[in-house]
Amino acid sequence: MTRSRSLTVLIALVLSASLALTATATAATITMSGSTSVAPLATKLAKAFVNQPQNKGNVKFVILQGGSDIGITDVSRGRVTLGMSSRDPKPADPGGIVFNKIARDAVCIVTNSSNPIASLSQTQIQDIFSGRVRSWSQVPGASASGPIDLVVRTAASGTQDAFQNIFMGQTLRVAGSATTKSSNGLQAQTINSDPNAIGYASFHFTAGLHPVPYQGVPCTLRNAKSGQYAGSRNFYFVSRGAATGIAQKFIAFSRSSTAQALVASNWVPLR
Amino acid sequence: MPEEAIAASRPGTGFWSDARVERLLGAVACLVLLLIVGMIGFVFAKAWPSFADNGLAWFTSGGDVDLQLEDIFASPSNPAEYVYHLRAWPLLWGTFVVTAGAVLIGIVFALFAAIFIVEFAPSQVNRVLEPVVRLLAAVPSVVYGLIGILVIVPWVGEHLISIERKESVANLVQLDGASISVGILILTVMIVPIMIAIVVDALRAVPRSWIEGAAALGANRWRVTWTIAVRTARPAIVAAAVLATARALGEAIMLSMVAGSASFAPNPIDGITFLFEPTRPLASALVENVEGLSVVPFGETLFAFAAVLLVSSMFLSLAGFVAKQSMRKYGVRP
Repeated sequence: MTRSRSLTVLIALVLSASLALTATATAATITMSGSTSVAPLATKLAKAFVNQPQNKGNVKFVILQGGSDIGITDVSRGRVTLGMSSRDPKPADPGGIVFNKIARDAVCIVTNSSNPIASLSQTQIQDIFSGRVRSWSQVPGASASGPIDLVVRTAASGTQDAFQNIFMGQTLRVAGSATTKSSNGLQAQTINSDPNAIGYASFHFTAGLHPVPYQGVPCTLRNAKSGQYAGSRNFYFVSRGAATGIAQKFIAFSRSSTAQALVASNWVPLR
Repeated sequence: MPEEAIAASRPGTGFWSDARVERLLGAVACLVLLLIVGMIGFVFAKAWPSFADNGLAWFTSGGDVDLQLEDIFASPSNPAEYVYHLRAWPLLWGTFVVTAGAVLIGIVFALFAAIFIVEFAPSQVNRVLEPVVRLLAAVPSVVYGLIGILVIVPWVGEHLISIERKESVANLVQLDGASISVGILILTVMIVPIMIAIVVDALRAVPRSWIEGAAALGANRWRVTWTIAVRTARPAIVAAAVLATARALGEAIMLSMVAGSASFAPNPIDGITFLFEPTRPLASALVENVEGLSVVPFGETLFAFAAVLLVSSMFLSLAGFVAKQSMRKYGVRP
């Protein structure tokens, strides 16, 4: 009795598995790799795309990470359908690839909430992070005293890359004395518990911290949207040549108003 | 019982005959060996480009490790232009300072706690103490890390480090509370329970007649314990230290949270400031950078960290084995 029942269950399992196999066999697959900063947004968009009525069961996503440069290299060699990039095109990039902008993201300079600095200029930020200025007494408008504690992200972080590009430029480096944290959470916690700390973060990670206005413009979603806030970066899906087929549909979907409404929750939509 | 079942349970007959079971279990044991050999081979093959490019200079100091890692991560995509330059001494030194500090402090605590449990504590106290020690050994390290980063690190940063002390080294390193002393403190709390458990077992295994013999000669309780029991249990104390060192070497998450995450080699010449300087042990450096694993030269550098950790734990077992040999004579086996 029990044996025949378990046999029935087994047969049902095999049947459903083979059904699932035939279903996936017909589905188109979009593979992506690249920026760890874009990946959460790409995952969100992919989920929404897969759940659209006309795509149900027809599209599959494989999303890998690794950093913007990995995504760009992969797509230029045809290893993935789309690359994810959180940096702008560079002259040294491989030829024949197209950057499709899908969203924007603001990078804020953040300090402990007990140290609400009114504004920092690019030169001031460069002086502080490169170690030329090491005491809060040398920073006008700072209410903290004593040495400046730099709290930055590890080399593999996309936010580190964006900070370097937006605020530091290509030649300046962050001072070697800086503490490097492996995640947004640890970085935020460190800045939160140290009144002398300063760091940077994507603006949806700034809760509980003081986002410092950059060149007099507060780091808010609205200012980043209007383009007044200069510390923002672009998110791209990179294709090899102009995107075609299902990849083209996914990019078009990502830029549609439906998808941009999803973008607006944590990032800056295109319009 | 049916006739066949009895026949099958006899040695040398039936499907599960002794010879077959022996071969089967032997195969499983060989599989474990094969797994270890394969793993070591894989790690070293992956790590080789990093060692080959830097040579022995890999183990020396020079420049800022964080900046070097950044350069490796930003390597051009052409394999001929991969960057491997790394001088990993601050990471190695950090690993050594934190591990040695915690094990040295821990072994003293563990030894006296174990002596108390075995020789002096009333049995009612033991009924509570021993389960608590075993429970402590099972607490996940990330819990200790959370307590460290939320409570101890801010407290140390606010109350123990003066602004003058911060300013005295501000050009080199930041003192914000996350430091080797907090790392050593929490690591000690983490490894002491295992050491206590091992030493307690060893002290209990000391033959009662030896202790009674010493007591009969007129030695007091402490002298008997110190000269007979502890002396006999020395191999177990070494074993406890080796096991604790292995755990401390591999501890990544907790230390990454409380030990400062700066690739800095704390300098003992700095006096008390030394205790508040941050560092980043190898295992923490590995886990903190793991999101860059897919960048080929960066991944190979991380595998080089892993290879160094593997080799040090192998040498550790070897050193423990050698140390125990000379103590075997009067010892009980751990």
